Amino acid sequence: MNDTPARGVEEKAGPGSSLLLTLLLPIIIVNIIAFVMPVANLAAMSFREAASTGSLSDVVSLKVWASLLEDSYYWSIAWRTIWLGVLITIITLILSYPIALFASRAERGRAVLIVLCISPLLLSAVVRTYGWMVILGEQGFLPALIRQVGFTPPRLINNEVGVVIGMTEILMPYMILSLLSGFGKLDVTLEQAAETLGANRFTVLRRIVLPLSLPGILLGSLLCFVLAVSSFITPKMLAGGRVALLATEIYDQAIVTLNWPLAACLSVLILTVFGAALLFYGQLTKIIE
Amino acid sequence: MHLKVESLGKRYGIFPPSVTDLSFSLKHGELLGLLGPSGCGKTTTLRMISGLVSATSGKITVGGQDVTQLPTFRRNMGVMFQSYALFPHMTVAENVAFGLEMRKVPKDEIARRVASALALVHLEKVGERKPRQLSGGQQQRVALARALVIEPDILLLDEPLSNLDAKLRDNMRNEIRDIQQRLSITTVFVTHDQTEAMAICDRIVVMNGGKLEQMGTPREIYETPATPMVADFVGRINRLSGRWAGKDMVSLGESHIRVRNQGVEGNSVLVMVRPHRIRLVKHDQPEGATADNVVPGVLRQITYIGDTLQYAVEALGGIVLVDEATRFAASGHHPGDRVLLCWAAGDTLTFDMVTPQ
Repeated sequence: MNDTPARGVEEKAGPGSSLLLTLLLPIIIVNIIAFVMPVANLAAMSFREAASTGSLSDVVSLKVWASLLEDSYYWSIAWRTIWLGVLITIITLILSYPIALFASRAERGRAVLIVLCISPLLLSAVVRTYGWMVILGEQGFLPALIRQVGFTPPRLINNEVGVVIGMTEILMPYMILSLLSGFGKLDVTLEQAAETLGANRFTVLRRIVLPLSLPGILLGSLLCFVLAVSSFITPKMLAGGRVALLATEIYDQAIVTLNWPLAACLSVLILTVFGAALLFYGQLTKIIE
Repeated sequence: MHLKVESLGKRYGIFPPSVTDLSFSLKHGELLGLLGPSGCGKTTTLRMISGLVSATSGKITVGGQDVTQLPTFRRNMGVMFQSYALFPHMTVAENVAFGLEMRKVPKDEIARRVASALALVHLEKVGERKPRQLSGGQQQRVALARALVIEPDILLLDEPLSNLDAKLRDNMRNEIRDIQQRLSITTVFVTHDQTEAMAICDRIVVMNGGKLEQMGTPREIYETPATPMVADFVGRINRLSGRWAGKDMVSLGESHIRVRNQGVEGNSVLVMVRPHRIRLVKHDQPEGATADNVVPGVLRQITYIGDTLQYAVEALGGIVLVDEATRFAASGHHPGDRVLLCWAAGDTLTFDMVTPQ
């Protein structure tokens, strides 16, 4: 129809782009008010100082940032946050992959299985975390069971172990959903073709299924890492204040100590971690393309 | 390697069986076509041979060895899928090399064999590309190279040409046949297209409703079909029902016609004649009508489709279709003309109707 490609583009750019802009306008406004402005405000706040009463001074200074970067305590928190985030993500992935694969392959009851997988999301994370406190606590179900068998139970709560167990269970639905979206593209005839070429079940999984589900794996991992790093309710409840993470520290500084500039600083730090994770994700996606 | 299938059956749960009591065998280097309408069980049969579907009964032997219980990855059969099933995350060369890697072939030999397999299908230059960067025809060649490079005992082709456009299909069909004969590889070819099957197969198995209807050479299938279904499936054909009126005579309405076979007088019979075996003669030129059967009729419709003219003639109490090659069709018939239909007794197929009583 169009004689030149340039004309085609022009025609498309005309009424199409203004319609696109109109449709995008509401979400742009909401995002500016609810996301961009608060984050900018937060960043600005990190350059101010707080009195012990919590009131903010009007001086712009780098004092809070300097104290943060010098203090090895905050560095250790940052590293622990990242390390636990990675660990939780890996364990969640390993536990979710077989479930997601099974659910996507199920001939009957596929919908029921998927609903079952994501049904924990219907309960608040607080309620589920209380459940884990009952199960993992000193006098809880699991230690009692281990004692029954005749072993001394390890400490499962108020330490990193508890946080990992709780967070893994909380995050599994998100991972399963991401993996399922990735499995959609996996064609069974590809696996059959591999079989006819002499690949056994395990080789088919390693050479065909895993590489083809990498996009879903990466997406789920990014999602779980971000959620693991930013969550504070579950770590706070299951660690009993004994595992300091960036998110819990922000909560303490903002609500307990009323040191808003420091909380703002830590928030910017966590945003940087997310940014790095996103970049890493982008690079990996490019490689597998 | 020769392939033998003995009373093979497949049943899924409580449903009627997809394949029942199917037996056939292939000599080394033979190309056998499994032909039938969709849902006739031909693909299921192919999948049972490859091991992707397990047989509920029967036996499959390759070169005398029973493979019925062998898992797919131990069967050494090259399969070409309808969708080609090329691995999207691997390059063309990696796709072709996959089967050799599974067989633990040394690296340098893999490179050599992949190159010669790609050369066999005229794709020397695309080894480093991803499958999605190739055209449909090229993808299909890759799939063929991948199935052949492992030097399979049996080559199984599942509707390999159905995703190609008409022109390419004819080329590819002849190319597959050429490669198959050069490598002398025993091959089973599943298709629903009778022209495709007749063009390249040594023998054809016609299936219907999970059962074998007829097995034979393309000529046997076409000229002496065993059942009305086969006659109907392998080409256009006229169906007329009549009654035996003598040893080799059938009465159709008012007329009596001579047929190829013999029957019992009084029994009802289905008569079938291919449209292009009937000749059309003008009613006022009876001297041209020298044939076993000459039947009067009225021309109702003429359809021009390029290489043939298709006539619909009202005769024998129904509509009889007649095909005439356009290069012989200068005689100038018009709708409404009274005509004579002429054809040989040898072209008149008969099938005795089984009456319930």
